[in-house]
Amino acid sequence: MDGNDGGPSGTIIRMDNVWASYDARHTTLRDISLSVKSGINYAIVGLSGSGKSTLLKLMNGMMVPSRGTVLVEDLRPDQRDGRFRAMMSRIGYIPQSLGLVRNSSVLDNVMMGALPRMKRMQYLLKRYDKEDLEEARRVLDRVGLTDKEDRKAYMLSGGEKRRVAIARAFMQDPRILLADEIVSELDGTTSQEIMNLVAGMQKDTGLTAIMIHHDIRLALKFADRVAVMQEGRKVMELGVDNDTILDFQTGNTTTQEILEMYDDPEE
Amino acid sequence: MTPKSNLVIGVIAALVVAGSWHIGAEPGEFVDGLPNLWLVAEDAVQEISEVDSRMIDAAFWSMLETILMAFIGTMVGYALAFPMSLLASRNLTGRWVYVPMRGILAAVRTFPSIMWALLFVIMVGPGPFAGILAITMYTLGFVAKLQYEAIETIDADPMDAASSIGLSKLQMIRFVVIPESASHLLGQLLYMFDYNVRQTSILGLVGAGGIGFYIMNYIKFLQYGKAAFFMLVVLITVLIIDWVSLKLRDRYVIKSQRGVAAMNDL
Repeated sequence: MDGNDGGPSGTIIRMDNVWASYDARHTTLRDISLSVKSGINYAIVGLSGSGKSTLLKLMNGMMVPSRGTVLVEDLRPDQRDGRFRAMMSRIGYIPQSLGLVRNSSVLDNVMMGALPRMKRMQYLLKRYDKEDLEEARRVLDRVGLTDKEDRKAYMLSGGEKRRVAIARAFMQDPRILLADEIVSELDGTTSQEIMNLVAGMQKDTGLTAIMIHHDIRLALKFADRVAVMQEGRKVMELGVDNDTILDFQTGNTTTQEILEMYDDPEE
Repeated sequence: MTPKSNLVIGVIAALVVAGSWHIGAEPGEFVDGLPNLWLVAEDAVQEISEVDSRMIDAAFWSMLETILMAFIGTMVGYALAFPMSLLASRNLTGRWVYVPMRGILAAVRTFPSIMWALLFVIMVGPGPFAGILAITMYTLGFVAKLQYEAIETIDADPMDAASSIGLSKLQMIRFVVIPESASHLLGQLLYMFDYNVRQTSILGLVGAGGIGFYIMNYIKFLQYGKAAFFMLVVLITVLIIDWVSLKLRDRYVIKSQRGVAAMNDL
């Protein structure tokens, strides 16, 4: 522990020698250590099955490590812990499936982000506050869904659904955004747009983003740091420094060949 | 067809035959009895051809009473079932809540509606109120099971997303469970009402009000033609309700399920 306060230049998420598994026989994560500075965009890449999604689940308490420590703003993430539950309302989490409520309107989906700060009768009757409504419309405007607030989620296109999930996360006024492959399966232009959107919002709010990507080049373009996962281990931590790609774990520069190893064969 | 499934079919067929013999079911009696059906039909045609306004009046008001009983019982039973089914859903509560809740609901379900009707006739006296109580209890036991099964089929993804925001159970019910199961819940409500109108028609047999009271009495006094007329009224009413609920289902239930299918196509 370095005793920081999680402020602008401090460490907001820390993992020390973390192991995790879903069942007794298979270990999903092996000896992961990382630290994420407040306010940066941290990317995680790796082939499927390398443990990327598990890393995110450890950060929002959906999973607890079998060994090692995870600290998010100096708390151990655990959804059963009341103090952490209070913090979860400020951690935006966008799973790969997005987790939208299909039969609800775009507005109701987005409002879910604001529910923890609403009074009981307000949400039971869906009588939203004027401030919450204004905020939701501002966020929807920002993600480009201005006149779609009454659409049911199932009627939207793939790109629009991702925008709704992003809007829901931003409605939480998040300090941390955890996003699992939200731009995979989208065409190049749309994924650039969505990444620019996240980058813009990050700039405005100073939040810390941890994003899983399919495409290592996209990750290097938008992220400050890129953790490369392979078979449950973090094998590299890359960053771009004056047009060269540095591996901060070893201090070596990285070549194109290594990047190609992690290119998705389907693309 | 495997030898094993042949054996299973053979055993079932043997059980049907042996069971029929045991309870004295005699197919010959069925054939011998067919002319009696003809007598009833003749009587019914006769009766219906000279039906008077007094009988039409009685049939109309008792049918209306039956529909009202079914309606009130269905709505109250359904409303009582919903909170209980939430507590009985494995994806919403822990083992210590859903296991006893399911036990209670299973116990309620063991009674057919006519047994409930008998019980309530003893409790509150004969009449439509006993029938309403019977339909309420029957609906509660039956529909709660349908409801919690529908709730358990809700996709885990929006539930996970909601819990990762830190939403409470009540918030999750309002914003995920209800919208995601609404089309199933509405379909069940229509089905249950439809079914309950038919059931309520016979509750009069034990004195719990409705049109069944007339049917029972006419049969008791061997006035099969009049009984047949009242049964015809039930048949027509059920057909109309079937048709209306089909239209409602097409309009609201199928549409939203098609939406889910469209989502899966993406």
